[in-house]
Amino acid sequence: MTTLPLRNNEGFLEDAGSWTPEVAQEIAAEDSIKLNENHWEIIDFLREFYKQHEMSPPSNRLFVKAVKEAFGDDKGNSIYLMQLFPGTPAKTACRIAGLPRPTNCL
Amino acid sequence: MTQEQTIQATLHILNKSPSHPRFATCLAALHEGDTLALAENAVLAVTDSTAGLPRNCVALGADLEARGLAGNPNVQIISYGDLVRLTAEHSRTVSW
Amino acid sequence: MTTLIVIDQAPYGSWSGREALDMVFSLAAFDQPAALLFIGAGVNWLRKSQDAGGIGQKTVEKNLAAAPVFGVEQILAEQSACERFRLGEGDRLNGVELIPSVRDALDRFERIVFAG
Repeated sequence: MTTLPLRNNEGFLEDAGSWTPEVAQEIAAEDSIKLNENHWEIIDFLREFYKQHEMSPPSNRLFVKAVKEAFGDDKGNSIYLMQLFPGTPAKTACRIAGLPRPTNCL
Repeated sequence: MTQEQTIQATLHILNKSPSHPRFATCLAALHEGDTLALAENAVLAVTDSTAGLPRNCVALGADLEARGLAGNPNVQIISYGDLVRLTAEHSRTVSW
Repeated sequence: MTTLIVIDQAPYGSWSGREALDMVFSLAAFDQPAALLFIGAGVNWLRKSQDAGGIGQKTVEKNLAAAPVFGVEQILAEQSACERFRLGEGDRLNGVELIPSVRDALDRFERIVFAG
């Protein structure tokens, strides 16, 4: 176990720049998620999205929309994403990817 | 609502004070037959001698009262319900 | 019915523009068609190569570039304002449609909301 970088009270990294793949595995383990290549595909996508747009997809619906735009209907749907990232997929996925909390996810 | 009841004109809802740049922009954009509804700080226009308000002009009573202007009779005073009705009656709405 | 959100204020000075962007993203989230119009000093939102890290803010141009991903149909800008602020074709975000007069743009939409 490494020491995790600074996080807020909901478990989101304070600084997206302090993220590493090992950090992702540790945060995922807290939710009993074992990361496979399907998870990594979405995580890499989110990291790239953040680099380009300096924000997380602002809501769960827009997260699904952005994934759909990038990977098509098979992956850009709530059921697929909820299976990978239980709870509110956008929140869970952003937390693991080291991004800030999506602004409009209640 | 049927098509006949819809007014083919624009309702302009303005909530900026007469000294805000958007106040003048809004007044310049009015067409013949449009309605101007004054809300929040825009109601100060009823006491501004330079405001140049159009004939079709209404103002929210609660906002006039809040600013001590309810006694001013030079525009028609409306309620929040009236404003909702106006929005429904007009085919286009601009919120300035 | 497409909602047109109009931004007439420069970026970074106030939060009004960000609220407008939130409004657009919220409309997009619920598949309500939305479009953006930049007029006056608001066209400075569209300039490329902004970097707001030094003032502790997120770069609006990068945020804005996400709008098409979320289904925002059109990004419009007032031509005379682009000329005034020296925002030539190569200086601004790709895919922005220039409009000759604000009144014409307003006439194309039935629901229009100014930001801030």
